[in-house]
Amino acid sequence: MSIPRDFARGIAPGPNRSYAPPPIHAAAWGTWLAAVVVVLAVTRNPLYLLFTLTWIGWATLLVNRIAQNAAPGADTLGLPPVQFSPLTFGLVVVTLSALFNGLNVHVGTHVLFRLPRGWPLIGGPITAEALLYGALNGLALTGLFAAFVLLNRVVPVRNLVRLAPRAFYPVAVVVTIAVTFVPATVRQFASIREAQAIRGHRVRGMRSWLPLMLPLLIGGMERALQLAEAMMARGFAAGDEQPQSTLWVRAALILGMVALLAGMLLHLVWRMPVWGPVLLLVGALLIGGAVWRMGQGQTYTVYRPTAWRVQDSVICGGALLTALAFLVELPGLARTSALYYPYPALTWPQLDLGMGLSTWGLLPPVFVLLWSLAKQDGPANGADVSDVSEQ
Amino acid sequence: MTRTSTLATWMSGAIFLLATLMGLVAFLYPFWVPALAQSGNTGLAHSQDAPYVLALLTGICFVVLLLEVQGAGMSAKTVALLGVLISINSLLRFVDLAVPGPGGFSPIFLLIILVGYIYGPRLGFLMGALTLLVSSIITGAMGPWLPYQMFTAGWIGMSAVICRPLVGGLGMRGRLGEVVVLALFAGLWGLLYGVIMNIWFWPFVVGTPDQYWEPGIGGMQTVQRYAVFYAVTSLGWDLVRMAGNVVLLLVFGGPVLRVLQRFQRRFTFVYSPVSQPVSQTVSQANDA
Repeated sequence: MSIPRDFARGIAPGPNRSYAPPPIHAAAWGTWLAAVVVVLAVTRNPLYLLFTLTWIGWATLLVNRIAQNAAPGADTLGLPPVQFSPLTFGLVVVTLSALFNGLNVHVGTHVLFRLPRGWPLIGGPITAEALLYGALNGLALTGLFAAFVLLNRVVPVRNLVRLAPRAFYPVAVVVTIAVTFVPATVRQFASIREAQAIRGHRVRGMRSWLPLMLPLLIGGMERALQLAEAMMARGFAAGDEQPQSTLWVRAALILGMVALLAGMLLHLVWRMPVWGPVLLLVGALLIGGAVWRMGQGQTYTVYRPTAWRVQDSVICGGALLTALAFLVELPGLARTSALYYPYPALTWPQLDLGMGLSTWGLLPPVFVLLWSLAKQDGPANGADVSDVSEQ
Repeated sequence: MTRTSTLATWMSGAIFLLATLMGLVAFLYPFWVPALAQSGNTGLAHSQDAPYVLALLTGICFVVLLLEVQGAGMSAKTVALLGVLISINSLLRFVDLAVPGPGGFSPIFLLIILVGYIYGPRLGFLMGALTLLVSSIITGAMGPWLPYQMFTAGWIGMSAVICRPLVGGLGMRGRLGEVVVLALFAGLWGLLYGVIMNIWFWPFVVGTPDQYWEPGIGGMQTVQRYAVFYAVTSLGWDLVRMAGNVVLLLVFGGPVLRVLQRFQRRFTFVYSPVSQPVSQTVSQANDA
């Protein structure tokens, strides 16, 4: 088991560092991912699912090509190999999901065959409708998996951590330390295993893991002490609090939660169409304000800030349009076509041109990746030098 | 203790309580929304959008809890300690994914529970929630399930502190009984983790009427359906996790507990500035 050091340090390039990460801001990728999640959560229309999966697959292929060009033979961008590729994952999940739903749900008019009624749960007619609906659920899951894998590969960990609001600075530092220490922990474990093997230790049964695990834990905590001293020497003081100001923040948090609770009850239980949502909004705003205020107390400096470029705005705009089309009734778009349901009898899915085109809002990252690939294949080997040096 | 700090302590407790209560209400909505809908004609109209409203509330509760938990007492030592422990625990999950164990067995709960037990609910919550976050970053297992996993694992670490009065009351501190209590606690959470984690997606799944949630069904019927769904799809899986947790705690619990206790003293050691001027301190030392 080995985890590339570059990955753990939050550096995207592979072995020879010649790979330039596609020039897309982490926040733009995050917005794109959120839109993908919305589409895949809302629709079961196979046509819209296929469109969305195609755009994700295209982006994944381009990222693979960019990585391969930069570091021939490298499988990933310096990331640990994922256990399943999205394709393998999709084949397994779509098959299992179709089988599971087909065997459990005995609803539908197109009966393929029948299992004896006496068989618990699975006994009864096996219908094409149930198999199809299971497969569609599997497709949506595959899309989610592929999109998250893609994000994991193209956005360095440190950029992801930077997306956290300033109020969560201590948590972001903890996450950064944890990710950074992974390779060191692996190396330490290997050294302990070698040392114990020299002493004749063999892993037989659970208790024989103790001589490996305890030194790992003790060594890790010793390093934590050293790290804490180094952090203090450099002026780290996450625990500094201004008691008076945190009282106001805490009061806002409490009021916000009370408002949310009241709003939830008014909206869901007493069906108050105005006061429920208004209180929910007030609660969310109070909590948002508290988070913002807490962030004001944190000093946050960046050595090289990541630039926000035109393509990032385009990606965000496209993603927001796609998400809106699937979430809200917009004039000229038949949102109902997204809500495909094969029961009780199979029907052809409806294709609304506007809704189909709205999934194209997920395409801008593909265009940016194509442009990045073209630059890479260009005369100067295309690498975006500024991005490489930044890493 | 000044009035301000007393008020801050009370407010902190209120935030913990409210966030946990709201998280529970939001997590368990399939059980109470339909009951309300059936008891009158209220609620049914909104039981369709309840999953989305309450998923949003779960997220907000998590943010509030995280904000409160990290706010106080996060010194450089705690930050470094948590970072390193999470790193070790995340690697255990990496190994678990690379060489899958049987059923729902996962070695990560050992450290989450022991850290919560020794270092308190704040660090326990962070240990649970951030272990799931970091391990999903290094294994690529990120998905829409991640916030729910973080919340539930956070609860595990936060709740481990309830073993303290039990162990103290039974006079088992430092004895085998302490590990046995923790092992039973870990076994219980082995089952509960699965029970809670199923709820986030259960209302969205369509299937046989006797197993799946529908808006408008009664509270008792919801419990019955969930029980059937859980028994059919998850019980076997979670029993393995429960057994795994118990065995892990019994085998490794004692030694790991002693290591964490030993380091607790070193991590809570603080330098306090002297209250009198340095020159005065020096002259006193010279006089002595």
